[in-house]
Amino acid sequence: METTLVENLPQVTAAGVIIKAVLILAIISALAGFGTFIERKVLAFMQRRLGPMHVGPYGLLQIAADGIKLFTKEDIVPQHANAFIFKIAPIITAATAFIALAAVPVFPDFTVPEFIPLLGGTFVPSIASDLNIGVLFVLGMMAAGLYGPLLAGMAQANKWGILGAARTAVQFLSYEVVTGLSILAPIMIVGSLSFVDFNNYQTAGVGSWMIWQQPVAFVLFLIAGFAETNRTPFDLLEHEAEVVSGYATEYSGMRWGMFFIGEYANMITISVIAAIVFLGGYDAASTFGWLTIMLKIAFFFFLMLWVRAAWPHVRPDQLMWLCWKVLMPIALLNILITALVLLG
Amino acid sequence: MSEVKTVDNMVSITIDGIEYKAKEGEYILNAARANDIFVPAICYLTRCSPTLACRICLVEADGKQVYSCNTKVKEGMEITIDTPNILEERRAIMEVYDVNHPLQCGVCDKSGECELQNYTLELGVDSQSYMIPDTKRETTNWSSVLHYDPGLCIVCERCTTVCKDMIGDAAITTAKRGGADLDKAYKESMPKDAYSMWNKLQKSVIAPSNGTGETNCSDCGECIAVCPVGALVSRDFVYQSNAWDLKRIPAVAAHSSDGAQIYYEVKPTSITDRTERIYRITNEWSYVSLDGSARFAYDFQNTTAVKDQATFDRAIEAFKKAETIRFNAMITNEEALMLQTLKEKMGIKLYNPEVRAFQKFLNHYEAASGNSLWSTDTDAIMKKTDFVISIGSSLRNDSPAMKYAFNNVQKLNKGAGLYFHPVGDTLIPTFGKNVEIFNHKVGLEEAALYLVLDLFANKDKLPSEVKEYIESFKSTRTEIIKEKVEKTVKEMVLNEETGEEEEVTKKVKETVDKEITVSSNGLIDLLGGDASKFDDVFAKMMKKKEHFSMMLGEDLYFHDKAENIAKLVALIEATCNIDVVMTPPKSNALGVALICDLDDTASGYTVGYNENGDFTLSALGTGDIDMPAMNQQEGTLTNIGKRVLPTNAAVEYEGYELNDIMKALVDAPELTIDWTAMLPVDKGFKKVDFDSLPNTFTNEGVDNRGYILNTNNCDTELPEVDKFDENSVLEGDIAYRCNPARQFNDFTDKSHEIFEAFGLYASKEKAESLGEKAEVVFENGSIILDVIADEKMTGDIVKVSDFRAAQGVYDLFGDARYTNVTLRKV
Amino acid sequence: MSLEQFKNRNVGTQNYTTLDVGTPPETGTDKFLQVIRRAVKGELFVGLWVVMRTMLQALFKNDMHTVKYPFEKLPISPRYRAIHDMLILLESGNYRCIGCGLCEKICISNCISMDTRYDENQRKEVSEYTINFGRCIFCGYCAEVCPELAIVHGPRYENASEQRAGFSLFEDMLTPIDKLNLQQEYDGFGAISPNADENIKQTPLAY
Repeated sequence: METTLVENLPQVTAAGVIIKAVLILAIISALAGFGTFIERKVLAFMQRRLGPMHVGPYGLLQIAADGIKLFTKEDIVPQHANAFIFKIAPIITAATAFIALAAVPVFPDFTVPEFIPLLGGTFVPSIASDLNIGVLFVLGMMAAGLYGPLLAGMAQANKWGILGAARTAVQFLSYEVVTGLSILAPIMIVGSLSFVDFNNYQTAGVGSWMIWQQPVAFVLFLIAGFAETNRTPFDLLEHEAEVVSGYATEYSGMRWGMFFIGEYANMITISVIAAIVFLGGYDAASTFGWLTIMLKIAFFFFLMLWVRAAWPHVRPDQLMWLCWKVLMPIALLNILITALVLLG
Repeated sequence: MSEVKTVDNMVSITIDGIEYKAKEGEYILNAARANDIFVPAICYLTRCSPTLACRICLVEADGKQVYSCNTKVKEGMEITIDTPNILEERRAIMEVYDVNHPLQCGVCDKSGECELQNYTLELGVDSQSYMIPDTKRETTNWSSVLHYDPGLCIVCERCTTVCKDMIGDAAITTAKRGGADLDKAYKESMPKDAYSMWNKLQKSVIAPSNGTGETNCSDCGECIAVCPVGALVSRDFVYQSNAWDLKRIPAVAAHSSDGAQIYYEVKPTSITDRTERIYRITNEWSYVSLDGSARFAYDFQNTTAVKDQATFDRAIEAFKKAETIRFNAMITNEEALMLQTLKEKMGIKLYNPEVRAFQKFLNHYEAASGNSLWSTDTDAIMKKTDFVISIGSSLRNDSPAMKYAFNNVQKLNKGAGLYFHPVGDTLIPTFGKNVEIFNHKVGLEEAALYLVLDLFANKDKLPSEVKEYIESFKSTRTEIIKEKVEKTVKEMVLNEETGEEEEVTKKVKETVDKEITVSSNGLIDLLGGDASKFDDVFAKMMKKKEHFSMMLGEDLYFHDKAENIAKLVALIEATCNIDVVMTPPKSNALGVALICDLDDTASGYTVGYNENGDFTLSALGTGDIDMPAMNQQEGTLTNIGKRVLPTNAAVEYEGYELNDIMKALVDAPELTIDWTAMLPVDKGFKKVDFDSLPNTFTNEGVDNRGYILNTNNCDTELPEVDKFDENSVLEGDIAYRCNPARQFNDFTDKSHEIFEAFGLYASKEKAESLGEKAEVVFENGSIILDVIADEKMTGDIVKVSDFRAAQGVYDLFGDARYTNVTLRKV
Repeated sequence: MSLEQFKNRNVGTQNYTTLDVGTPPETGTDKFLQVIRRAVKGELFVGLWVVMRTMLQALFKNDMHTVKYPFEKLPISPRYRAIHDMLILLESGNYRCIGCGLCEKICISNCISMDTRYDENQRKEVSEYTINFGRCIFCGYCAEVCPELAIVHGPRYENASEQRAGFSLFEDMLTPIDKLNLQQEYDGFGAISPNADENIKQTPLAY
């Protein structure tokens, strides 16, 4: 079908958007939890271990067990912490992560079956809000998410927290630049900030994937994405060996859990962006189109776990050096060359 | 008299090149030990005769190999302890001892205290060159306390030696083992002494000497103490505990007046019950011998005591109300002083019939002789005396120390002895050839003392009336006796070869009538002896005798004429060369007699301390308020050797002490032992703190325990003694207040290893005539007792036990030890 | 070592051996080139491959190293000194323990105690035996000193119990009579040395 998604929309109602938002919230939260399970399992296998095995078949209910644990744990606010900021910081992380997903097309659109009362017949779009500046919005929201760890670290009256916060500021700010610059080249090629346009640009098969045109941008984006999501080898914010648990030192229970829901949501977001921008996105027409993007997202998610199992951390100074002296010049160079090619 | 004991001259000897001093006449072994030199010896026991069983004490003296245990030192003797030859002999001997000795050291009760083990290691036996088939030897129980495992026995004969030479029972001896004969080849190949030792060892084993499987002895357990291996063990102790687990608490045997040194050996009762209990009693057996009560009567502690204020208050009330305190000799000096303090401050009478008679006797003795106490003790008797006289004491029952001394003098000092006692005893004559027994009638103890005066007194010193009185018993008469004489007859005989006549001297025996003058001593007849033979016997007894001792017993204190007897004793001391020792009736009788001002009668409200009373303090746990038993308290005891000896608490005690009551009643120091330094100095005690009292023996065997009481000696004129009434004797059925051996008081009775029953002890014939039970009717009451046959008793007098205070035997006897009774079969 | 050396806090100058790591890059270009050199070398991808290979082996070749501990146990070294075992004689079922008390004596934490008695067969019998495992430091002296190889350190290392008395009873340590066939001659701590035969002298009892 040679139609765009937008043209295909029957009518996007407020009810449909709300349903979509609730679905994203529920499914991504669940996936974030599932992500922890997958991470444990994958890491375990890569170390010849079994991983969680005892709660449920193959340890599947470990997520539920962890959830119960996190929800029922005592909510401790340190004595000298700024209680208000301390309490909202994890909400910022989680909220921004989910808000970013508003502009990302996840799951196919569908119509709620007629027999369901009230909502019957409501059309649920694949994207909650198809902004024409989708990429910018997503990157912006993810960048706003750095306030979570930053405020958390500063509010908790703990020196490890402060260190974590400082690292948050420098690491996220720095890599925000690389993310933006690396994705600028594809944007220049596509000429749009909408993810739908990116997707449509690459519908001509594997050969039309952006990764072949912009391999450097892809690598840069991937590296920056690791840093943005606070993943090994760049998980310096809460590097246990150095700063106990960094910005999350004083957190416990569900507040702590929310940081991680945010982190895993961000991981999914980055995976989705990488899949849409560089690996061809979904094929709305094909029966397996949604399946292919799911596989692509899953590959990126797995890649993050894989890297964690294989590679060591870098030092903070190396991290910064890498960002400003290596990645950013390359990104600029890449933009320059892309621009020259486009102009030429 | 052997010269060993008499001379304290020192001679110089050289041992391994170093010069030492030794007592002349001392055995080399003892001389070496006195100088802290080690000579290996297994079978030799100090204070007993050399057995020569082990032969390991071989030394070279002046170039000759001798056994150091039976060779006496000489001036200038050169002694070498180890020569290559001797070492070879010793090693061979130890190897022989190890042949077939079971390797059960893990379970053996000797548990590391084993001399066989020690010497095997000392002499470096690491391989075995000899062998012989073993003989099956079954363990047996010899008596209610003795357990013998012949498999472990090395037949060193220490047990038989101590039983014969020290205890006097001679209840065990070597017997045939039925072992295989030695391989003749060994005779050539083995060292000589080792071979002969083995030859003897292989044939013998120890067994009761009466031929039955059971010893008929006083069950003193000294054989257990001296056994160098685990062959002899108390039945109660078999496999109970390893020696190293036991904690030793130095103490004094509480029951008899011997005041023997003992160790209480304590350990927690079991895994579940961690309170400590006494597992056994051990002693320094080289220097002190225990009697059965000292060794086996140890678990008499008061276990039920608790502190209860109400009871304590009642006790205080009782003391405030009391007119009399009745107690016995089972009490420390400190407690006696407390009671005396109560008498002085509160005017309470002190009633102690056990000790009162003894105290009066001592007072009479002091008045007559000027000496506050007797002159010798049993240790000194064993070391020096060669002629010993016992009057008024049932040696076998009253005072073990005196019995041991009497026996030891016969065995070791080639001594002689006179034994005066109304009750016949078959054991005493077996002590030695030169022991003469006088079973006199009850009441004639004075006659015995007069006889002693007659026999031993320096007649010049004796007052003339006494001399005359003694002479009045003597008569001379002429008798015609047939005598065999040898006559020398000269004859002229014709020598057939030469044909000449020669004069030949021949001896011809013929019997002739001879008229002789026989002096007859009426005293001897009176005392039941045979006057006609006594002179010869006595002459034999007196051969080579130099040191004389006399032991006086409880009978004399309870005698009607105790005062006159005391004077006679004083006279004997003044005029004869005889040392005197008196046995305090029971445990601390001497201490009580010296410290307390006792009253003759009790009256009014009576507080009884281990005795009957209106309110009773009892260390037995049966009274109104509990007191600590002798093994639960610190304090001092005064013994027959006039020593003040410290004893210690072995078992925990939870209740009140007498001193707690004292603190509530009068001004008393904090601790019971604070009283030790307050003991009356004018009675001979010293102002010494309890904690500074020593409790050791030296290597030479010198008793260093506690201190000796000071004796006041002043010169007095010879006492005027009364004549005795030879007609004031008891006739008919006579009861004698006397305990079986090992029983002294309620505490021995309580001990589980003491089996002697409370009852009427009689000779076999008498017991048969009395049946199983008999009622003994006294003037002031009667008592029904089990009749028990004592095989060693003879005669018609019966012994009534008094060790149970509750039976009131003292009250039945009144002031006498012998009394006329009516015996009825029940 | 003298005290001065302890007081020297300038650790950098002490006995450290410097590894030859080459000269660090000085100029920016050198550093950049070093990163490129290292990145292009592909070691990062080797690392990725290694863990991936491990995962594949773990999943498909069953090369999983996890031991599901309470359900699965690895064999323990015979030198390990865990809860004691009291062995019994295989022939008669009697205690091997003769009650010699050496273990009680040698125990440095003083946690062994035993009661013994004279039994009907005229033998020394251990009537009660306990080890206070609250105090036991598992030094192994008891097993070493035991002349009968009766007390040994067994392999039972799980020391948690609901009752303190659980491990201290003689009967609990003893091989139960119905499991006699399972008792193994223990070659672990306290066992006879492998060359014991060489050290034994022959006794001359050859009649």
